[in-house]
Amino acid sequence: MAKIELIDIKKQYGDTKIVKGVTFTVEDGEFAVVVGPSGCGKSTLLRMIAGLEDITSGELRIDGKVANQVSPDKRGIAMVFQSYALYPHLTVAENIGFALTLKKHDKAEVAQRVKEAAKMLQLEDLLQRKPAELSGGQRQRVAIGRAIVKRPKVILFDEPLSNLDAKLRVQMRAELQRLHKEFGSTIVYVTHDQVEAMTMAEKIVVLNQGHISQLGQPMDLYQQPQNTFVAEFIGIPKMNLLDGEISQDEPDVFVCSNGLRIPLAVSYQGASGGLKLGIRPEHIELADNDNGQYDVKIVERLGIETYLHLQRADDEVIVVRLEGDHNLDAGQVNLHFPSDKCRLFDEVGQVLLPSTH
Amino acid sequence: MTLASNTVASTGTNQKMTKSQFKTYLTLILISLYCMVPFIWVVLASVDPKASQFLRIPESVSMEHYWNLFANQSGLRWILNSIVINVSATIIALVFAGFGGYAISRTKAWWKLPLLYAIILVRIVPPPALIVPVYKVMLTLNDWVNALINAVFTDVATQQTMSRAFSFVDGYLGLILILAAMQLPLAIWIMKTFFDAIPIDYEESAAIDGATQWQTVRKVLIPLAMPGFAAAGLFAFINAWGDFLMPLMFTSSPELQTLPLGLFRAFLRVDAIDYGFLTALAVIYTLPAVIAFSFARKFLTQTFSGGVKG
Amino acid sequence: MQLTYERRKQLTYRFMMTPALLLMFIFIVFPAFYAFSLSLTNEALLGFAAKESSYVGLSNFERLFDDPLFWNSLKVTLLFVIGSAVIGQFLLGFLSAVLLLRPIRFKAMFNAMICLPNAVPEMVVGFLWISMYASGEYGTLNRIVAWFGVDPQQWLYSFPLIAIIIVNTWRGVAFAMILLTSGLSSIPKDIYEAARIDGATDRQIFWRITIPMLMPTIFLYMFVSTVTTFAIFGLVYTLSRGGPANSTEILGIYIYNQSFTAFQLGYGASVAVISLVVSMLIGVFYVRMFKVEV
Repeated sequence: MAKIELIDIKKQYGDTKIVKGVTFTVEDGEFAVVVGPSGCGKSTLLRMIAGLEDITSGELRIDGKVANQVSPDKRGIAMVFQSYALYPHLTVAENIGFALTLKKHDKAEVAQRVKEAAKMLQLEDLLQRKPAELSGGQRQRVAIGRAIVKRPKVILFDEPLSNLDAKLRVQMRAELQRLHKEFGSTIVYVTHDQVEAMTMAEKIVVLNQGHISQLGQPMDLYQQPQNTFVAEFIGIPKMNLLDGEISQDEPDVFVCSNGLRIPLAVSYQGASGGLKLGIRPEHIELADNDNGQYDVKIVERLGIETYLHLQRADDEVIVVRLEGDHNLDAGQVNLHFPSDKCRLFDEVGQVLLPSTH
Repeated sequence: MTLASNTVASTGTNQKMTKSQFKTYLTLILISLYCMVPFIWVVLASVDPKASQFLRIPESVSMEHYWNLFANQSGLRWILNSIVINVSATIIALVFAGFGGYAISRTKAWWKLPLLYAIILVRIVPPPALIVPVYKVMLTLNDWVNALINAVFTDVATQQTMSRAFSFVDGYLGLILILAAMQLPLAIWIMKTFFDAIPIDYEESAAIDGATQWQTVRKVLIPLAMPGFAAAGLFAFINAWGDFLMPLMFTSSPELQTLPLGLFRAFLRVDAIDYGFLTALAVIYTLPAVIAFSFARKFLTQTFSGGVKG
Repeated sequence: MQLTYERRKQLTYRFMMTPALLLMFIFIVFPAFYAFSLSLTNEALLGFAAKESSYVGLSNFERLFDDPLFWNSLKVTLLFVIGSAVIGQFLLGFLSAVLLLRPIRFKAMFNAMICLPNAVPEMVVGFLWISMYASGEYGTLNRIVAWFGVDPQQWLYSFPLIAIIIVNTWRGVAFAMILLTSGLSSIPKDIYEAARIDGATDRQIFWRITIPMLMPTIFLYMFVSTVTTFAIFGLVYTLSRGGPANSTEILGIYIYNQSFTAFQLGYGASVAVISLVVSMLIGVFYVRMFKVEV
């Protein structure tokens, strides 16, 4: 089990910069998830940790030792690929034991360790099959088995669940967490799915266009996003962002561009226009007064909860989540925006802090 | 020609054929006859003790011509030479194309694209255009090799065997190498296309597991590339086997003659031509090519459909 | 090792490519360029120049362009390529492809029979057709046409060019058929059905839908078959050796005759140069026009 430190890691191909200075640490035994949209550089980052891509500048340390030049097989890592990369011409047992046979371990020992890994992943009955005969979920487990049999210090996952159907994904998420508890290896997991990040991670790194947008524990990112990117990326449905401004005459009121006035919990001195107010769908309430009038466009009733899509003036549609079933017709409702649940962002998308005098 | 009628449901179990079906069958039969008729003679004559240049129904059927082939010095010689030379050329072409195709598929060199275009152009070069310069090249290489042989071996008999084996003109090595070289463009293309379709994940996984380059090649790449090798190998073999120009150019001694040359030269003889012998030889010569072709058939569309992107 | 992982991989790839590239270079690329320089000399296998060849500038080419046999050879080659590849093989191949996609029986058998000529080595093709074209009343072709009341002919003497075109057509139908079958099958059935619903006649469907959608395949076929036919040697050589009276002397045979019968290597090289230039032009034209994907 090892600690991984990335210090100002940059990656560049010719003139194209892919990773533009990433710094974070994964503690020994921690389950870290690097999440971001396509093209943000997360896979490249993972491959640099693996040693499959060179690090243009910056330092990578594994267990305190600089690892930039160390070849992939000497870094003590194992990797589970998105495509699983199971050798089609080998049986499950041979696939799992592949790394061990390369190093010419004693045959009995290899068989023993393969069996252990297979047992942990419920693959014992499938050991003699070939990958083509297995289902997606089974192949995934074989890929994981191949990784854990090496008893690696670090396991890297490259979007392992993206090829599975929704139901399997839920199952595998639970499996992976179980395995992590049993093994305790350091895990760096890359995905574009924020649900996977939220459910499994002990630490989330949100990557956007080669930069870290925010770094922290899942709930911190959920409740206190530091910028609009993270605000919209984490959480489904997305956090609503309303355009508006705060005038100096009334520094504790947010005036939306659709006319709505939202009182704020604190005063924001020195703020101006081009701002955004963020509030999660589950925090908006239905109200009695007609201050926050909105037109109901779409009602989605899911039984356990109801989603309303609403619009005011010609502004963007916002989403409100109500607990339980609400049989509402299209029409007008009044909304209340609790001030303690509002989060403000400035013109460039960074969280806006009330100025301290 | 009604293409759209292809989507009409089959007339299935109707007893009476439709007019369109009749025309279809008739046309196909005519085309097939056109294709098959020339073969009738060679097959019949090869089992006809009194074979002649003309098509005739044999009065009796005998396999004597075939036995004769193997008993006859030249026939056997030609067959063995063809096998040795063409199989060697195919193997060399496959090994080189395997490594080459793989490397080209994976490389990120800036000259990758121009290289691929260059390989297409190399494929286009018509062999007759090359005969003069290649002949000069072979002569030079030949001189070097023979000088080397004469320097290393003192015994005349060994010198001659070595020369026969390793010469470029009138020697096995030269013919094998040039035949292999000519198959390379297509073989490389097939292998490269094939490796393009194999994700690099397998190799990376092996790298992380600590496989050396050689281990990766042996345990991962070669098994995965088998179908590619099959396709490339079949095409290479068929082309080399049927090649007439190269053996014509670069062999003169009787010991070195391969089947196409043997057939050609025997046919040119001024005195009585033994048609039975010749047709049996032609049949034997044709068989491997036909067998290889029947296996290669399914690869033909795969190879070319990659080029049809429009 | 200071070399990074990526760098090492890239070097390994270059190393792996070398044998193949080297072999092609020695036996194909270098000779192709060498032909250019040879064509500027008077190199020969016999006679004066055999000992010491000298630079003669473009005189080989002057001689070439003055030689009516050269122009004849070009003409013959052009007719041969157009007759067999562009027209013969294509039409019969297309016809076969279309017919074989219809709901009929014995498809596999027809398919095998049509493919057989393609599977056979060049030499044997020549051999077979020498018998077919044999003169006198017992020659196979003569016996067939006798049915239609035509007198026995000396096919290779009277109609040499047509004769070899027929042979090459016979040989290449399979390639066109296979390629076009694949092209035709890749046109989605829905398109035909949509056209039917729109009220298109069979003829309209053929010319406005099928043919346009087949264009990439057709051009691919034309390219490959043109290039291959241009390079033919053995087939025609066995049949006619370029005769009678140079009437079937395709470019390949012309080169061979000039170089190895007349032993004029420098001169032969100049023809080779022309041949190479023409081939390269065809290749570049196709690759640029249709943006062949590599």
